[in-house]
Amino acid sequence: MPQFFLNKRLIILLVSIIVLVALIGFSLRERSKLSWPEQFVKDTTGWVQSLVSKPSNYIAGFFENLQDLQNTYNENKELKSRLDNLVSLESQVQALKKDNEELRAVLDEEKTLRDFEPLPATVIGRNPDRWHEMIIIDKGSLNGLKKNMAVVTANGLIGKVKSVNKFSSTVQLLSATDPKNRISAIVQGKTKVYGLVEGYDKEKKLLMVKAIPAGAEIEKGQTVITSGLGGIFPEGLLIGKVVEVKPDQYGLNLTALIKPGADFYDIKNVMVTKKIMRDPDITDLTDGKEEGS
Amino acid sequence: MKKFLLPLLFLFLFLLESLFVQYLPENVFGRNRILVPHFLFAAILFLTIFVGKKQGIIYAAIFGLLFDIVYVEIIGIYLFVYPFISYLVSKIMQILQTNMIIAFLVSIFGIALLEVGVYEMNHLIHVTNVDFMSFINLRFYPTLILNAAFIIIAGYPLKRLFEKHAEALRVE
Repeated sequence: MPQFFLNKRLIILLVSIIVLVALIGFSLRERSKLSWPEQFVKDTTGWVQSLVSKPSNYIAGFFENLQDLQNTYNENKELKSRLDNLVSLESQVQALKKDNEELRAVLDEEKTLRDFEPLPATVIGRNPDRWHEMIIIDKGSLNGLKKNMAVVTANGLIGKVKSVNKFSSTVQLLSATDPKNRISAIVQGKTKVYGLVEGYDKEKKLLMVKAIPAGAEIEKGQTVITSGLGGIFPEGLLIGKVVEVKPDQYGLNLTALIKPGADFYDIKNVMVTKKIMRDPDITDLTDGKEEGS
Repeated sequence: MKKFLLPLLFLFLFLLESLFVQYLPENVFGRNRILVPHFLFAAILFLTIFVGKKQGIIYAAIFGLLFDIVYVEIIGIYLFVYPFISYLVSKIMQILQTNMIIAFLVSIFGIALLEVGVYEMNHLIHVTNVDFMSFINLRFYPTLILNAAFIIIAGYPLKRLFEKHAEALRVE
């Protein structure tokens, strides 16, 4: 037995396993901020990454342009046919917008959950091990980013800001498996149906909206948007379209499978949304139970 | 200049992995598969095989830590697995002869161990809820094929470089 403990390698192995568990435990707990060495390392590599990713973005863009040229004729035809509708739609939207503003002025409620300030950012890296679906963007706390802000592309919501450094930040995509990641959503049908975006089916590549009350009328093809009720995300960001509805495992609620509007792969430019309306304080809530985003 | 060559090479591979995943389309070959690049780790294993155990483990620990901080945000997984597998590989190489084919096979074995090890750890801390069989089909085989292709392409230049480096070390 004493000889067993004298074995240097075994002791090193045991010590390193203890250190491993301690480190994982340290990084898994709920952290509002990364420690400064981590931030320093991330900012430094972020700087190098942006040096590398800008020229490679340019090259990739060039090849994409070449591909686009091939489809130009067909696309042009299709776009022309849509253009006619667009003009009338645009004038309608203008009128509605003006109407809305006027009515809001009358009501004295000029800010809504819908208003946000977009902040463009470029993707400079992505987690290569692909268990944690994360991307790194080139804007940080100096640009006014904060934890938990919603991140969108032109086609819809893709995720939220997970951690912020001075010059770069990490965005957790919706496709990541994280039980803490819940987003309050609305299915837009004849009536508004509320649910929570929770989880991602990796094989089918569909998002799951859970906790929809049974008996709600949801059909295939209806749009799902953020509700803005979590207090963090603005209202009205597109999440996706309903593909399938099924009862959940206890049969009490419905679960809708959604095809996300945004592509979670091949992301180049994103927008971070900064909500304008004031977040409610803890004291504003009656029972402080409201959680999530 | 020569002193900085190896760290720069590894840093380049470190960034290359991220770029590779960023520009990879959703469906490769029209099928839903997850391809994971382990270019950096393949190079570290080659370093362990052709230069030495000590060098290999030091580089594995440094870049494992960097990988954890920058990409994963959970410190400890790669910091532990990279050096551990480098150590195992160096033990295996004590028995086997050092040549290109053996190096190729041992590196593939190391990458397979890495994938399974990281999967088990992530399963343990609930980062993933994929079951083992779909992990194998969805991720494990495609990843091995991708990295085998990388080693076939980059293996020979890496071997030449590391052998030169080992010689320079011996002269010193």
